[in-house]
Amino acid sequence: MSKNRRKVKVALKYCGSCNPRVDLSRIARHLAKVAEERGDFQLVPLSENDIDVVVILCGCPRACGNKGEVRARAKRSLLTAGESVNRRAVPEIQLPLAVEQELDKILNG
Amino acid sequence: MTMMTGQQYRESLRRLKPEVYYLGEKIESVADHPAFLPHVNAAALTYDMALAPEFEELLTATSHLTGEKINRFTHIHHSHDDLVKKVKMLRALGQQTGSCFQRCVGFDGLNSVYSITYDIDQKLGTDYHKRLVNLLKQVQSKDLMVSGAMTDVKGNRRLSPSQQKDPDLYVHMVEKKKDGIVVRGAKAHITGAVNSHGHLVMPTSAMKAEDADYAVCFYVPVDAPGVVHIFGRQTNDTRKCECFLDQGNVDYGIVGGEALIVFDDVFVPWENVFMCGEYEFAYELVERFATAHRQNYGGCKTGLADAMIGATYALAQVQGTDRASHTRDKLVEMVHLTETLYCCSIACSCQGYALPAGSYMADPLLANVTKLNVTREVYEIARLAQDIAGGILATAPSEMDWKDERVGKYVDKYMKGVAEVPTETRLRLLRLLEGMTCGTALVESMHGAGSPQAQRIMIERQANFERKKRLAEKLAKIGEQPLLVC
Repeated sequence: MSKNRRKVKVALKYCGSCNPRVDLSRIARHLAKVAEERGDFQLVPLSENDIDVVVILCGCPRACGNKGEVRARAKRSLLTAGESVNRRAVPEIQLPLAVEQELDKILNG
Repeated sequence: MTMMTGQQYRESLRRLKPEVYYLGEKIESVADHPAFLPHVNAAALTYDMALAPEFEELLTATSHLTGEKINRFTHIHHSHDDLVKKVKMLRALGQQTGSCFQRCVGFDGLNSVYSITYDIDQKLGTDYHKRLVNLLKQVQSKDLMVSGAMTDVKGNRRLSPSQQKDPDLYVHMVEKKKDGIVVRGAKAHITGAVNSHGHLVMPTSAMKAEDADYAVCFYVPVDAPGVVHIFGRQTNDTRKCECFLDQGNVDYGIVGGEALIVFDDVFVPWENVFMCGEYEFAYELVERFATAHRQNYGGCKTGLADAMIGATYALAQVQGTDRASHTRDKLVEMVHLTETLYCCSIACSCQGYALPAGSYMADPLLANVTKLNVTREVYEIARLAQDIAGGILATAPSEMDWKDERVGKYVDKYMKGVAEVPTETRLRLLRLLEGMTCGTALVESMHGAGSPQAQRIMIERQANFERKKRLAEKLAKIGEQPLLVC
């Protein structure tokens, strides 16, 4: 990767975690690790400008974090809600990898 | 035509010729027979209230298919607001009928099949969803009442559908033709069956590969050849034909008018088939339907409870017990229980979510909790009503004796409560409460939308005990201590 190439900005937005059915922080930790290893994207706060992707992390299918104003903060969004990624069923154990793969599709496509 | 009036609904029933049997007789016109009138009246109110300005907000919706204004009972939920309005609509209808108005079952069936056909098509490349959408357009434009037929007669409950000695104890496909399928079997306890325009038939349980012929979902008109209805008995049902006051809820009866539907080699054209052998989707369809239907019970039953509380309060006044502290305390308890159930239905609606098809369903865990609470608390509300009403609820003389030339004066004199209120008022309130708290009506709260054990199974499945264990382990400093924020 070129040193001058801008890193893709990825922000995380949690639903609030009132009664999550899955471990959301495990997904976040995995993304942080992948960001460090790959180096083509970085995790930034949602308050930052020019965010490329917002990953919305919701603990259950109610998906309280999936709001228009959250999606509007970035060019693209990715939703995980309970045991699902972008409304596709995914077992909890596979969630971090599934989110990484969906993010990869966005970054490469 | 879009939305029908109650009268137009009655006329539409007269144009149909369903095969219906009751007390050993073949019924000529469901819309005109006294045994069915209360159920027809209750269903008719779902039409009339949709056209009444004060209920329009709850009983109508905008079709996502056509943009037309439609009766909410034909709508596919597309938001949390839709889910909440459904519950509110059911409470309003329960208050007005004091009985079951039947139309929610097909409503829940359409919503469940709408979403599951989408999922089947996505995975298998079938075209079930398109067929369902075509049916839905007809249901919406003609404002049809559709029964939801799920519960099979089941035979030996230890055996799966394909293991039964008699293969017909679960509805199944017996022949696949070029233009459709032939089905055989029976569905039990089907609410509003005889006064619906058609039946949406769904599988009743999880299926395995060997049960594939039983994984069928389809729609048939109520008067399709081979569809036979045998109407169930209800507590005091002969009162519908022999008296007036003693019926209690004269206009709307006590339950939904359930029937056994027999499918005696019924032909179903492909356009009305929505699952045919995709056994791996049977359980998901059952769960979605069960969730949608269990969501309802803190709506409709609380509407009924409002009427029950009102009757109990009025009866306490008529009998001079209304100022007793224990009476007021019991009435408060009835309200507390009622509103608790309502909270459950509202909560599972607010916690609902979107499915891949874009439609919304209630939260399954909370919907099952709602219904499980109904299996207990409605009995407790009824018990308190009976407590306040007194033993006269079960022993009051008949309407015929009250009107009798010789003994009527005694009934009138000795059945009186406070001096200012006529005996007739007391008798009417007693009969209303009798119908609502004794017999068939209560069993509906127990087994309608599935028996309590069915709710417990779904609650266990959704409980996520492992996560709760991790919470406890964190507090007790056992094992790895997860970070709060990464």
